[in-house]
Amino acid sequence: MSKRLPSHLRRIGRVFVDRSMLDSPMARRVRDRLAGTDQADIPWTVVEPDQDRVEFTDGDAQALYLKEYKGKFLRFCPGTRAYHCCGYRIIHIGENCPMACSYCILQAYFQDRVLKIWANQDALFTELGNAFGADRNTRYRVGTGEFTDSLALEHLTGYSRDLIGFLENYDNVVLELKSKVVDLTWMNATTRTDRVLPAWSLNAPFINEHEEFRVSTLRERLEAARTCAQAGFRVCLHFDPIIHYPGWKEGYGEIIDLIFDYVTPDQVAYMSLGSFRCMPQLTPIIERNFPDTTYIYNEFVPGLDGKARLLRPLRVEQFTFMVDRLRKHGMDEQLYFCMESSEVWNQVFGFAPKDIGGLGNRLMDRAFGEK
Amino acid sequence: MLLTSEIFTAPAASIRADGAHLFWSGNPPKSLADSLAEFGQTAPVLVCETEDGPSLVAGHSRLALLAAAGQPVLARLVEAEDDADKGRLYLADNGHRVMDDSMRLAALEYFAPLLDRAELESDILPRLGVRPTSKDAGFLLAWLDLEPEWRALLAAGNVPLAAAGPLARMTAEDRNAARPLFAALSWSRSNGVNVLTWLFETARMSASPVAEVMDRAGMNAALGQGLSPKDAIARLTACARQVRHPELGRLQARYAEAAAEITAGTRWRMAQPDNFETGSSELSVQVKTPEQLSRAARELTELAESPAWGKLWDLGSGNE
Ligand code: SF4
Repeated sequence: MSKRLPSHLRRIGRVFVDRSMLDSPMARRVRDRLAGTDQADIPWTVVEPDQDRVEFTDGDAQALYLKEYKGKFLRFCPGTRAYHCCGYRIIHIGENCPMACSYCILQAYFQDRVLKIWANQDALFTELGNAFGADRNTRYRVGTGEFTDSLALEHLTGYSRDLIGFLENYDNVVLELKSKVVDLTWMNATTRTDRVLPAWSLNAPFINEHEEFRVSTLRERLEAARTCAQAGFRVCLHFDPIIHYPGWKEGYGEIIDLIFDYVTPDQVAYMSLGSFRCMPQLTPIIERNFPDTTYIYNEFVPGLDGKARLLRPLRVEQFTFMVDRLRKHGMDEQLYFCMESSEVWNQVFGFAPKDIGGLGNRLMDRAFGEK
Repeated sequence: MLLTSEIFTAPAASIRADGAHLFWSGNPPKSLADSLAEFGQTAPVLVCETEDGPSLVAGHSRLALLAAAGQPVLARLVEAEDDADKGRLYLADNGHRVMDDSMRLAALEYFAPLLDRAELESDILPRLGVRPTSKDAGFLLAWLDLEPEWRALLAAGNVPLAAAGPLARMTAEDRNAARPLFAALSWSRSNGVNVLTWLFETARMSASPVAEVMDRAGMNAALGQGLSPKDAIARLTACARQVRHPELGRLQARYAEAAAEITAGTRWRMAQPDNFETGSSELSVQVKTPEQLSRAARELTELAESPAWGKLWDLGSGNE
């Protein structure tokens, strides 16, 4: 009997591959991993060099696209001046996600069902090697979860495992793998448990059940975090986006308490809290894609960066509640806000990023286990 | 479909004028009556042959006026293959008329059962002066799915075309609840759309019907207060805004109160510039003479001492 792929990959109904990538290790691996599954026979289409994009629509089916990527692989996180950015660097390994969260910004970025994977890994590793090797004293905190979920396609691509293997030689780099699924196949690719930070996003159970689809449960994520912690990794947990819905106090209180059934505060490298915010164009997309979603009708106002944000006192109320609860469990220096103003930092934490030497520095230290 | 070259004269009473394709027929304009009286009929009406004799395809006002004057009618024969063709010919013959939204909607209502959505968009909308990709095109098509009572309110000019956006997202029950707001008041585009959008969004967020939201917002009470139309619209808009943004409304009211206290007796104006993202205030003053400038400077020094500033620095921080 043929095996089934993990549930979040079962919609994949076609593979596109650039002609130049047809014999790449990545293409061979994807082919091998599909073989023996009930999706082994999905058609492969070769994309010729003069074709500038692939078109794919087939109901709710998704396509993989193994692409030769010509852009920059190492990027800066697109922060803004008005709010404090955590200053991490993005390793761009692909675009789009097979899961579906109502709040996901990727819906606005990528309006098709094509999951792109940069198959020219040799080019990626060359660029990373040049950057990370130029000065071994410059530290980097990097992650792959900006334009995709870090581990969503890992089962087919083994991309994070390759990356971890490559970074084994770079003591000055910490890689964060941020995900909403559980795939731990990368774990034994490294001896440097101090240089890889497995990370899971968490949310209130109600939001997980009503706004996140094809993802793992909160308990599954926390079990995975515990497995990693027991293996010697420190983990990251992220509350982003925090959503203001009726019953949010009970919901966020419950998940916060649950965390510490699985991990201890010292096993957590850091934890971000970010209130739901979005480009104004995202709201009608959410309305269309998730007609049952109602939190978008809360009191949002244009923020200093032009994005819609929950009115400040409502954010502060939620943050204060969550931070108090987390502190009761022993969390402290791990906590930070993603894209918040000095006002909010001061109101909730009692200090601003400049008082701790800057958010980027604080997180760099914590990532490298120095605080 | 063909315009034939056959032009003939017939008694007005012999031409039937009851086709649904005469969707803009109404009282003939006085200018046409005057023109007929002065010059007679300058252009033939269009008719097609039916088993029951000639039937009017276009020229309803001319026919009505000539019939009333007991005069024969100059008619041109057309060969309309189906009802959609009759409608297209009617539009062509009426192309000179200044169209409003309710006329456009009346035309679409006629064509809707005859053509599919794509044909309505690509063929009919351009004949109505509407680009198929425009927002108005979407609104007009959305109106087709709304109840006749709402369409009557559009025709009366009480509800703006763009209201189709929020109305189409409401349930029939919610639309029903909102209808009294438009029964006797003529709303501008922005106020009408805002009020309906706020009601819809508040109802969705609080999982309650629009009727309940309106009640909570005090809108039903405001409707019964016998206010002038202008005041009624202002009051209803304020009620809907407040129920949609209660916390923002509270902050704005507190800000306005403190700002009035601070600037009382001066020319200075105050505004909160960033939706309370920060505790900032913007102060402005207009001066035209050196004396006014000196006075404004003195006032500024004095108003800086106002104790009411204490109410503003933390407004919006959650720690007020
Ligand atoms: S898992 Fe992450 S990347 Fe994927 S849809 Fe959800 S929020 Fe977006």
